[in-house]
Amino acid sequence: MLNTPLPSTQTMTGGTHSPGNVVLRLSGVSKSFGSVAALSDVSVGFHAGEVHAVLGENGAGKSTLMNIISGVFQPSQGQIEVSGQRVATMTPELSAELGIAIAFQHPAVLSDLSVMENLRVALPASLFEGKPAQVVARALLDAVGLHVPLQARGDTLTVAQMALLEIAKALAIRPKVLILDEPTASLDQDATDMLFGRIRDVVKAGTAVIYITHRMAEVRQIAQRVTVLRDGRKRGEAMVRDVTDQDLLGLIVGRALGSTFPPKATDAGAEVNLSVRNLTGEQFKNLSFDVTRGQILGVAGVAGNGQSELMRALAGLLPWKGEVRLNGEALNDASILHKAAFMPSDRHAEGLAAGLTIRENAALSALGAFSRFGFVSRTRETEEVAATFQALAVKASSIEAATSSLSGGNQQKVVMARALLSQPGLIVADEPTQGVDVGARAEIYKILREVSLRGTPVIVNSSDAAELEGLCDKVIVLSRGKMVASLTGDDVSEAKIVAAAVSAGTHAEISEAQTAAKRTGWRHFVQTDNAPVIPLAVVIVLLGLYGFSQNTHFLSAYNVANMLMLATALGFIAMGQTIALLLGGIDLSVGPLAGFMVVVASFFINDGQSGATILAGFALMLAAGLGVGLINGVLIRFANFTPIAATLAMYIGLQGCSFLLRNGPDGYINSDVVAWITWEIGPIPVAFIVLLGFALGGEYLLRQGRVGWQLRAVGSNENSARRIGIPIDRVFLAGYLGSALFTALGAIMLMAQIGVGDPQQGVNYTLSSITAVVLGGTSLKGGRGTFIGSVMGAILLMEVLNAVSFLGLSQTWQYVFQGALILTAAVVYSTLRTRAAR
Amino acid sequence: MSASPPSSFPTSVKALPRGLAKGFVTVVVAMVILVVLCLSFAPSSISAGALAGSLPFASVLAIVGLGQMLVVQQGGFDLSVAGGVSLSVVLVTHYPAGDDAQLLPAILIALACALVIGVINSLLVGYLRLNAIVATIGVNALIYGGVFAVSGGVPRITTSLLASIAGGNHFGIGNAVVFALFALIVVAVAMKKTTLGRRFEAVGASPPLAATIGLSVRRYQMMAYVSAQLLYCLAGILIAGLTTQPTAFQGDPLLLPSVAVVVLGGTSLLGGRGFPVSTVIAALFLNQLSQFAYAVGVPYSAQTIIQALALGFGIGIHSIRLPNKNKKLTKQSNPEETNETFVS
Repeated sequence: MLNTPLPSTQTMTGGTHSPGNVVLRLSGVSKSFGSVAALSDVSVGFHAGEVHAVLGENGAGKSTLMNIISGVFQPSQGQIEVSGQRVATMTPELSAELGIAIAFQHPAVLSDLSVMENLRVALPASLFEGKPAQVVARALLDAVGLHVPLQARGDTLTVAQMALLEIAKALAIRPKVLILDEPTASLDQDATDMLFGRIRDVVKAGTAVIYITHRMAEVRQIAQRVTVLRDGRKRGEAMVRDVTDQDLLGLIVGRALGSTFPPKATDAGAEVNLSVRNLTGEQFKNLSFDVTRGQILGVAGVAGNGQSELMRALAGLLPWKGEVRLNGEALNDASILHKAAFMPSDRHAEGLAAGLTIRENAALSALGAFSRFGFVSRTRETEEVAATFQALAVKASSIEAATSSLSGGNQQKVVMARALLSQPGLIVADEPTQGVDVGARAEIYKILREVSLRGTPVIVNSSDAAELEGLCDKVIVLSRGKMVASLTGDDVSEAKIVAAAVSAGTHAEISEAQTAAKRTGWRHFVQTDNAPVIPLAVVIVLLGLYGFSQNTHFLSAYNVANMLMLATALGFIAMGQTIALLLGGIDLSVGPLAGFMVVVASFFINDGQSGATILAGFALMLAAGLGVGLINGVLIRFANFTPIAATLAMYIGLQGCSFLLRNGPDGYINSDVVAWITWEIGPIPVAFIVLLGFALGGEYLLRQGRVGWQLRAVGSNENSARRIGIPIDRVFLAGYLGSALFTALGAIMLMAQIGVGDPQQGVNYTLSSITAVVLGGTSLKGGRGTFIGSVMGAILLMEVLNAVSFLGLSQTWQYVFQGALILTAAVVYSTLRTRAAR
Repeated sequence: MSASPPSSFPTSVKALPRGLAKGFVTVVVAMVILVVLCLSFAPSSISAGALAGSLPFASVLAIVGLGQMLVVQQGGFDLSVAGGVSLSVVLVTHYPAGDDAQLLPAILIALACALVIGVINSLLVGYLRLNAIVATIGVNALIYGGVFAVSGGVPRITTSLLASIAGGNHFGIGNAVVFALFALIVVAVAMKKTTLGRRFEAVGASPPLAATIGLSVRRYQMMAYVSAQLLYCLAGILIAGLTTQPTAFQGDPLLLPSVAVVVLGGTSLLGGRGFPVSTVIAALFLNQLSQFAYAVGVPYSAQTIIQALALGFGIGIHSIRLPNKNKKLTKQSNPEETNETFVS
């Protein structure tokens, strides 16, 4: 094994560069996932005022290392010291507190939040104190040369802009340790230069920078010290100026595979069975290559340079232009989908259906061959699947085993069995040995080789160059979507593949970072969550005027007050529902909860009861809300119920509780209390003004309050929210509690309206509240919504119902209008959003 | 072929994987316990007379549950159950208005309406990418518009022919039960024995996987919504026959139980494999639970609480092994979810 001598980390090396103390030290850190060791016994120190590059191939353990430092993973062994202090358990929150900032390669940018909100939810509030937030945010963005409007939504940013935003967030807290994970992957030359300038600035200020990369050229440009990882082990550490590129390359490659490869094709140059010309797709351009009979073609490159897009295009899953001929026959997008058998890299998402047995998974693509008159012959199916499993040496307890009971290697063999059973014209294998143990790898190589020898072209994408060296007869190397090398014969070696992939110094061509169109104020507003407010207001006014033109009493003080009073009850409940939907969930229990609360109230808030009893009644309504919200939240977060299931059970249970307390309408509500609740100033009920106050206040919190950003962040993308340190469980619990508490306010209004404890009332509010919220423009996908819109939705809904009866239309119209409204709103909003996202 | 030893790969199905059979075992055990309870404490609730009275309604719930199950299998959720059932009830009572000769055309009209509604639901969900809940709430309201357009909200007496078809007896079992059994057999055979059904399950279990092997996810969604409406229609026709003067809201009380029996039967709300037999048993279970509670003198209120507890318990059992990764409402709701791999 090559191993560069380790210069003592404590030696001061003088000259132009003088590293400070070790700020962060890992000692003997190991981490394994199941039986796979991702890191073994890594010890490394990071110095203040120094850029320390961590170099290694995909799967070398770089990201795991970083996730351990940032507290996302806990190490299986070893310890972490920050500034000489041992850290017992690192968490994302603690690492942020200790001054460790991280810019993820896949930015934790929340697509439903604006740039401004992305900054504010992820950064400590102290950063924005004293100065206007706009100024602070602008300065942060300017520092990384990101020129986008602060109100631009995350999903309108390009990949490069997101990467810059991610870096801006990391730089903002003036970290002691700054971790940059492949920061230049999507940046063009200018942005890269700017970034390097910033890195030099922060290093001068004493920050320790950990720079994770694949590209050796960048190491030379920016780093003082370099550590190389391979197979989860540290292979060496050196000052950059002391090592040559050859030394580094030697450390990166040469990993022990421990598995044997089948012999390669002997008669190269025979007939071409797959010919690709000028293939251009989403992330790759003008690729031309041939595969001859018996050859296995490898696709290589640093991850994210168009390889996986190429694989998907060849499998017919992404559109492409150009020419693909299989055994002389020209193929198009549609026909290639049926010719090619695809082995996806993400086995769990695309390769296997977890709910089905391995027989069902394997047989899926060949069901037609096993059946007669549309009926599957179970005997044939079982025989053929079993024979294929036998041939591929699948190890499973039975042909009916659940996919989850198999090891990664055997799962992959099930995917292969499906591919082979479909008798494909072409096999496209994307990372076929990812997460597969050594023994099974050798078997998978053997199977691919056999398939290839039988005349089916096999294309393999792998981020493991050693695997490509052993398996393939020909390898094409991609960089930024272009072919930078085509290697055959003895040139198919790990060193040559890695050299071609990492030395390609090209950067993103188009100046992607700044191409997003600047949006004008109006166009920007159309994309905000509150945009539906305007059309809703217009419809409400128009409908009011139309009603007025038909019957002047429609806008009489009495009728307006009546409509607003009804809308107030629904409005409060809709606000509660909005919270649940913002979280990406739903609360079906709001209707029965409101009804239940009224029934509870009907025992206490009666005529002739003392003030204390009446107060107790209100307190019990509140308590019921707290209890129900808590149970909903706990069931969803901790008992693994889906929101629908949890709140559906709650729905039925609460309905039962109402009937338990009262068999029929009874218990008249105190008339003074009712008078207070329904107090009106002119045609406007005071309660409605309170509702507006809550809606405006809620809206303000949603846009300007940390709690609002957190709520929307969690609903937008739970994973990203976790990575920026948001306490997910707490947000969920708070959300369902909030939903129940708004329902309690709605219940108070409902109580005044019906004036009696009736166990049958309230349930309809579940569907009405969802209708109102959808009308208001809140998305059921979570992350996007508006309280004001929900309240206006409630007003519109009540206005429509009122208008129907007022104008003497039949009940038919009441339903038709409701249905048409919600569908129109949903279609319009979803269309607008899809457009905006493009 | 040389005399290779017979495939040594274990193909026996002696040991069904626990995760897959759990729904069936749970619901059967629950049913057995309930029957024992009935025998010991309320034998009247399972007397022939009581069963003859309650089974037809259990059958209706079973049929509706089968429809809901198909939609849930595709990761959807069908709130238009209520409208679908109610519409077919009013169509087959109002159009004939007591005239037996008009019954067949009325049934055909009802079936045609069901077909159209199913197609609309699936277009909204599959092509316009609306959330299934929103789409079916809207469609449900539209259907109720239709219900009132047809009936004006006034109930009409059912035809005697329909009453004898739905309420009659053959071989000592109510016809409604026969219809439910027939629906169960059709659904179960189609799902478990045909290529179409096998693909249907696979599409629901993993739409991305289905896409990689060239199956059209939308087409299978459409199949689910349309078949579901046809089943609701059948249920509505039976209700019209079983009830002398059905109201315009006959479908409403079936909405939540339809979801409950699907969940109790073990079908995941995230989609995938369906359990028709377990769903039907769950319908019998819920029905018998009410009968039992009624017979021992538990008020209606407590019955619903018991149902809620049974439902919560059922979901709890099924939830234990569910992967923790998808907490969102439905699978489709998050198509652009990025795959963050931490290990690399």
